[in-house]
Amino acid sequence: MATSETSNIKRLQVRRFKPEENPKSTYLTEETGIWAWMTTVDHKKIGLMYLASILFFFFVGGTLALLLRTELLTPAQSFITADTYNQIFTLHGAIMVFFFLVPSVPAALGNFVLPLQLGCKDVAFPRVNLLSYYIYVIGAVFTLIAIFTGGVDTGWTFYTPYSATTGGNVMMMTLGVFILGFSSILTGVNFIVTIHRLRSPGQTWNKISLFLWSLYATSIIQILATPVLAITLLLLTMERALHIGIFDPALGGDPVLYQHFFWFYSHPAVYIMIVPGFGIVSEIISTFSRKHIFGYWAIALSSLAIAFIGFLVWGHHMFTAGQSSLANMVFSFLTFLVGIPTGIKIFNWVATMYKGSIDMKTPMLYIMAFLFLFMIGGFTGIMLGSLAVDIHLHDTYYVVAHFHYVMMGGMVMAFLGGLHYWWPKMFGKMYNEFWARIACVVIFIGFNLTFLPQFVMGSMGMPRRYFNYLEQFQGYHQASTYGSYILGIGFLIIAAYLLHSLLRGKKAPPNPWGSRAMEWQTSSPPSLHNYEHTPVVINGPYDYHKPMSEFQLGIEGSHNGHGEHQHTETKTVEADK
Amino acid sequence: MAQTSANVKKGDHVQHHFVDSDQQFESAKMGMWIFLVTEILFFGGLFLAYIVFRSWYPELYLMASDHLDTFWGAVNTVVLIGSSLTVAMAIRSAQLNQQKGLIINLAITIALACIFMVIKYFEYTHKFDLGIYPGAYYAYDGIAHDKANIFFSIYYMMTGLHGIHVLIGIGLMIWLIVRARKGHFHSEYYTPVEITGLYWHLVDIIWIFLFPLLYLID
Amino acid sequence: MSGHHISSAKFLWGVGIVLLVLTFITVAVTWIEIPSPWNVVVAIAIAVVKAAVVAMFFMNLWWDTKFNILLLVMSIIFFMILVGITLLDTLYRTDPIPSF
Ligand code: HEM
Ligand SMILES: [Cu+2]
Repeated sequence: MATSETSNIKRLQVRRFKPEENPKSTYLTEETGIWAWMTTVDHKKIGLMYLASILFFFFVGGTLALLLRTELLTPAQSFITADTYNQIFTLHGAIMVFFFLVPSVPAALGNFVLPLQLGCKDVAFPRVNLLSYYIYVIGAVFTLIAIFTGGVDTGWTFYTPYSATTGGNVMMMTLGVFILGFSSILTGVNFIVTIHRLRSPGQTWNKISLFLWSLYATSIIQILATPVLAITLLLLTMERALHIGIFDPALGGDPVLYQHFFWFYSHPAVYIMIVPGFGIVSEIISTFSRKHIFGYWAIALSSLAIAFIGFLVWGHHMFTAGQSSLANMVFSFLTFLVGIPTGIKIFNWVATMYKGSIDMKTPMLYIMAFLFLFMIGGFTGIMLGSLAVDIHLHDTYYVVAHFHYVMMGGMVMAFLGGLHYWWPKMFGKMYNEFWARIACVVIFIGFNLTFLPQFVMGSMGMPRRYFNYLEQFQGYHQASTYGSYILGIGFLIIAAYLLHSLLRGKKAPPNPWGSRAMEWQTSSPPSLHNYEHTPVVINGPYDYHKPMSEFQLGIEGSHNGHGEHQHTETKTVEADK
Repeated sequence: MAQTSANVKKGDHVQHHFVDSDQQFESAKMGMWIFLVTEILFFGGLFLAYIVFRSWYPELYLMASDHLDTFWGAVNTVVLIGSSLTVAMAIRSAQLNQQKGLIINLAITIALACIFMVIKYFEYTHKFDLGIYPGAYYAYDGIAHDKANIFFSIYYMMTGLHGIHVLIGIGLMIWLIVRARKGHFHSEYYTPVEITGLYWHLVDIIWIFLFPLLYLID
Repeated sequence: MSGHHISSAKFLWGVGIVLLVLTFITVAVTWIEIPSPWNVVVAIAIAVVKAAVVAMFFMNLWWDTKFNILLLVMSIIFFMILVGITLLDTLYRTDPIPSF
């Protein structure tokens, strides 16, 4: 590939295209109306539709979590029965993982930003993109049906043989998640092809943003791991429908095999849930430090390394499941390797901030929270990966705290950072900076109050997934519950000022953060076709030492296939493509 | 890659976000290959179950595969290879603007796919008559092994899922014929034929592995 | 124009015939009794050759971009990871669960 790219130098007439301050027509003002939205193939609108859906599910999952925490205020049963409790934590987990976290950054933010950062008009397969959204909706409908026709009480992991024999409507739920998997796969296919084929003239692999690299790595995980989840859930469905017995010890099958199947997807899936967040961190840290990213290739390639190593470690979820001790040792060893590329990333981010002119705007504030919380989550992950320690900690609140630190402290913080970062681009409106910072601080405090005590009680032996507990843990549980209320308040504040911003927000300039990245070089919000010209790239997205004018080049007289333009000063660049 | 050949004019079939026909074709093909990767791992899960249980119970596989008819398995292999050949010929016809050849080759492919399904149907019903059902419903005592049901669960899952892929392929091919009759395909644009062909060949490849693994255990 | 390789009809028929011959061979080797692990090895080896022939000459990977070849190779590698590491467990359990 590299050879044909360098041997293919073309001379292009380019000129500067300054993004319009007050665009008359944007993607939001064109093709409006319910039907136009529902049948749109525009990646920006599909991104927003995803965004609305995942926020809805985040709200549902969050409400369920508050119910759980409220029940746990007292050691004995207060208002939820044991069975209902099991159903609620199952739904909370399944909704948060499959309906919120997995699609949160790739399908919602990624869909919106990816083509903008590539300078193309849309993803490679716009109709497939829309299809993937509807598949997501169908999967969601199946899940809702499952909830209202018996519920599911297996936990989000659907372990056999329990899931094959318990009551409720497990089949609907697994079918729902099965269907959802295809939506995830299609997004992955779309992103990989788009990044390969639709880059702007001059945009070589070393000039795409690190967010794109992270989406690329994520998409690779999605296409390699998700099909295994699909077959797992299909087998489980068949297990319930036809009693095929492959996972059922009563029929001669092997339940531990189910766990291999499941975690071969779900460990890589936790990287689906965090690697896109890494991408956002790189973008925001560079933008708000006004500095070239430190170690571009180290960060880009460590995403791929994480994607790869992530496939080798799934057995660390099965240390106590009856797996052979040989496998236990191998998995424990391999798990430690994950720490290396992750550490490389953290190092490079901190090095990027070093001597930068740091501007603690809201997105950056969230990224600071990310760095702090994700470190704790990552280190406790390594602890859990140590075989002997995990025998003690497995299935305790320590594990619960670990994955909430990475998923919520990591990914949700990155998601919120990204949401605040790209909000002006999406809607052309600014939000209230003061309240945004308040909310961030409230969330940070609430989060730690909720989950730090869980580490402590977990290491003292409080098992997970119980609706009552020994009295000695009450103090920790109460702290945790109050923390979760604070968290809830934080999210309510966000909802309030974002709504306000939508309705009454100040108009956003095209590039409120002074970023060099490509998506900021078009109007806010962008026009229906993203750019009015064919963008040409000669600098990387983090070259803060170059003047802004060099980031706004487009092919002279190209009009991107639309409308006419005035010609002003032109210059010639060499673009290798 | 991304060589943009200026002499290819932007035809009707090129969607607005592609620069030219070539970029669109290459993108579609790459997209299909990525999708095939997911198909391979999808079936890969079943192959894993097959391998694990075979490593545990080698004698079970020996006994059970005696009850699969090698002859019909081989016939089906030949049928699918033939259909792969006709799909390849169909693509060739499209590349050469041979409207008629395209339709005929697709029709033969569909016919072969149907033959495959009919043979599979008879194999299945024959087993059902004997009481060879998957898992818990297994009710045949001709195999002296208490895990025989597991072998047939795996057999039914693998061949069943493969059969569903064949049915999907038939559907796709019918759709191609409908479009071909409307003259949608020509040497500049035959992307759907090409990527359906890729899909069909993969279905063939999976059968190429299923055949020796299930039928040919001596 | 990469990817627009047009095979001659003769060539395609040739590939088809090779595949049929290989199918015959894979059935035929079961008539001569090869001892236990090797019969599987031979069967898989022939299947791999057949699959490779289909992939290269029917699916045109032979003339395709390297990335598409890489994709196929990658899927095989990850399938082997899935199987290989799972076998580390299932082959070495002191008390395999199924025989409780
Ligand atoms: C530094 C890298 C990480 C390491 C070494 C690590 C290690 C582990 C280990 C060993 C467990 C099993 C604990 C047990 O069940 O006994 C675990 C559980 C878990 N981890 Fe991590 N982890 C890491 C990062 C992540 C990330 C980034 C996420 C998600 C974004 C994540 C999500 C989870 C989840 C959801 C579970 C619990 C699954 C369940 O049983 O329900 N981990 N982790
Ligand atoms: Cu894990």
